[in-house]
Amino acid sequence: MGSSALVLFFIVGVFFIVIATSIAALFAPRSSNPQKLDPWECGIKPSGNAWIQFKIGYYLFAIIYLIFDVEVVFLVPWAVVMKKMGTVAFVEALIFLVILGIGLLYAWNKKALKWE
Amino acid sequence: MGAQIMFYILATVIVVFSFLAVTSRKVMRATVYLLFVLLATAGLYFIIDYNFMAGIQLIVYAGGIVALIVFAVMLTEKIGDKIESPSNMQMILAGLISIAGAGVTISVLLGHDFKQSTQNIGQNVATIGENLLNYGKDGYVLPFEVVSILLLASMIAAIVVAKRKFEN
Repeated sequence: MGSSALVLFFIVGVFFIVIATSIAALFAPRSSNPQKLDPWECGIKPSGNAWIQFKIGYYLFAIIYLIFDVEVVFLVPWAVVMKKMGTVAFVEALIFLVILGIGLLYAWNKKALKWE
Repeated sequence: MGAQIMFYILATVIVVFSFLAVTSRKVMRATVYLLFVLLATAGLYFIIDYNFMAGIQLIVYAGGIVALIVFAVMLTEKIGDKIESPSNMQMILAGLISIAGAGVTISVLLGHDFKQSTQNIGQNVATIGENLLNYGKDGYVLPFEVVSILLLASMIAAIVVAKRKFEN
């Protein structure tokens, strides 16, 4: 595939954004006040920093997400050739998924998926 | 020609954001700069038509690993604070080590005689899939299944470790 097409796409993309924002900057009426710069938080005045320490519970979800993320990577080439290879590919992927399903059951059983 | 222009754009992005990632004094910003580095690396794979590798780069690295790093950063205390600047001594030492590392890498790269590969390395996702699921002589079905056991083991290990920390 043409990398030239990619370059063209890139340039056109940049061009569009530059044109759109500069037209808006030229013609739009402008007013500014401190409230406009506030992050919108359901009408409540935001206080403190947004970067605060999170609960450790999130990390377990992130790890489990990452593992299934890696699993998906292996299933992509499988999905591409599944139709061509037929039953063999299906059984192989089934074994793969069952083994990972055990992991999901384990996580479920250990209440790793429960929010506390 | 187009590939070359794209390469230079992506290389600039990688260099600039890598530099920002290591010089940023706010750890959350450094993480986001790292995300851009990983995305641009995926772009490099796309240029050489290595679509599957680029997909992995986007899904696992830009998606998974960065999410994990963001969560890890969010768990630390004082994320919002600026990290102190390193002392001059640290800067000089780190600079010297970086220059030495870059020198070794560049000299090895320049000394190596790169040959254009003529054999099919299986860039195609379909080729990769066929090799992965083939149980014949050239197949990799055993590693494919072993990977699932490896993932299972890492998931159980993660849960065991994390759950024990919860109870304390």
